[in-house]
Amino acid sequence: MKLELRRIHIKDIQLGKETAVKDGVLIVNEEELVSKLKEDERIKDIKIDIARPGEKVRIIPVKDVIEPRVKIEGTGNGFPGVSSKIAQLGEGKVNVLYGAAVVTVGDIVGFQEGVIDMWGEGAKWTPFSKTYNLVVDITPVEGLDPHSHEATVRLAGLKAAEFIGEAGREVTPDEVLTYEIGSHVEETAKYPDLPKVLYVEMLISQGLLHDGYIYGVNSQKIIPTLLHPNEELDGAVISGNCVAACDKITTYQHQNNSVILDLYAQHGKTLNFMGVVLTPELTTLEGKFRTCDYTAKLCKMIGVDGVIISEEGYGNPDSDLLMICKRLENSGIKTVLITDECSGRDGMSQPLADTAKEAVAVVSGGNVSHVVTLPPADKVIGNDESIATLAGGWDGALLEDGTLMCELNAVIGSTSEIGYHYCTAKLY
Amino acid sequence: MKYLIATNNPLVKKKADNLCFVEGSYEDVLIKVRDLVYEGVELVSHPLGASMRMLFSPYRSIILGQKSKTINPFHVEIIENSIINYRKNLEARKVDWVHADDYALIDNELLKSTFKDLEVDFNKI
Repeated sequence: MKLELRRIHIKDIQLGKETAVKDGVLIVNEEELVSKLKEDERIKDIKIDIARPGEKVRIIPVKDVIEPRVKIEGTGNGFPGVSSKIAQLGEGKVNVLYGAAVVTVGDIVGFQEGVIDMWGEGAKWTPFSKTYNLVVDITPVEGLDPHSHEATVRLAGLKAAEFIGEAGREVTPDEVLTYEIGSHVEETAKYPDLPKVLYVEMLISQGLLHDGYIYGVNSQKIIPTLLHPNEELDGAVISGNCVAACDKITTYQHQNNSVILDLYAQHGKTLNFMGVVLTPELTTLEGKFRTCDYTAKLCKMIGVDGVIISEEGYGNPDSDLLMICKRLENSGIKTVLITDECSGRDGMSQPLADTAKEAVAVVSGGNVSHVVTLPPADKVIGNDESIATLAGGWDGALLEDGTLMCELNAVIGSTSEIGYHYCTAKLY
Repeated sequence: MKYLIATNNPLVKKKADNLCFVEGSYEDVLIKVRDLVYEGVELVSHPLGASMRMLFSPYRSIILGQKSKTINPFHVEIIENSIINYRKNLEARKVDWVHADDYALIDNELLKSTFKDLEVDFNKI
């Protein structure tokens, strides 16, 4: 499969008469966008706002972040199986409005968190403080059940990204990135001496606000499955999870999955990248055994030498992570885990809910319990009552001047378990 | 009776039979489950949620199965680890009672979803 991601560098977003990209500025016709989204009868009201890097703006509670794109060659514009008809993804040419993002806001339940600060201390922790964000605040009609409410908000974000992405159709890109990997037989013939590596990406798959979707199929309903890495880069994986702000994998992060991009960069040089296994994180122990056994079996069948596993969430998914690790290591497959830590304010506690002696190579995305101090914003987009929720975890977190002390846990993408973020380790 | 729900969630109490209703906290539910696992009751769903935020919940529902003559050491390990982790995480935090109704709703929805995964009709539990 060969996929071209053709980046059009976006330097600003403005509202205007016509949805278009002019000299790197994305102009959005608000009225057209709103009426497009309101075609969904479940939506009562849409508010559009823009948040630019450096502005004293706080966005909360964020549901998802999506990169606006348009497919100009090949099948599957939009998000096949979700916002458009099913089609094979992974091949063709995609124009990407690089530097722009659609951020959806909508409080489905009161305890949702997920903050993006566009300036100052908060901006340091989330990757989405550097993107020009078109914020879509979605209010559904009254009386929707929570599942329909969640689906409405999820779909609205994807449709908005698709609508805005169209603006890039005729624009000449600033850079073109090509991703091409052939069949296992072809690649192994090309690189017979390089170690074969698979990427296992785990997805929270547990029900309302805890779901992920592959070509529109709820990952709760699948047994682990093999994808060409290009399919994910082309929009096959959608986020429906919005309770684990710091380590949820947003749709944007799936579209730009750092593990996939890094493995691509090493493909043919130090390793032979064999693809992506998507693995659901279920709640039942039987389900966990089923998916972990199946994942290990896929890795063994393909005959890989090494596997990189990334987790999503914290708590019961830690069990899956280590169960897969044990199975692979015991089969002689070298395994690297990517997770984040919940190791207390001082970072001294045991970081995961589970342990295994086989987990000998673990990469941490950061400590979710790390406390950050966020000064008051000039403008809050979304629901400012949610700020009290962020501070609600412990006493004295919301100071009189509006300064907020919260854990990284509340900041979108701050401890990303696929490495799409800013936390790093410094050696002294 | 194939399944038993250990819960302190009032919403679940309203809707389901086969309950082991715990008048107490999330931690009390975990402790009740631990005691049952030591009596040989099978652990069907994982005692913890999938995110930090769900650890703030005042309510938790856990699915248990049949009682057998032997104790499953893996289930013992899971429930014991879950209690240690729950306590560790609540050391510096407090239960979010402000949104108690929302947590009750999500806990109930996740429970329904787990039963769907088990191919069991929640209404017939």
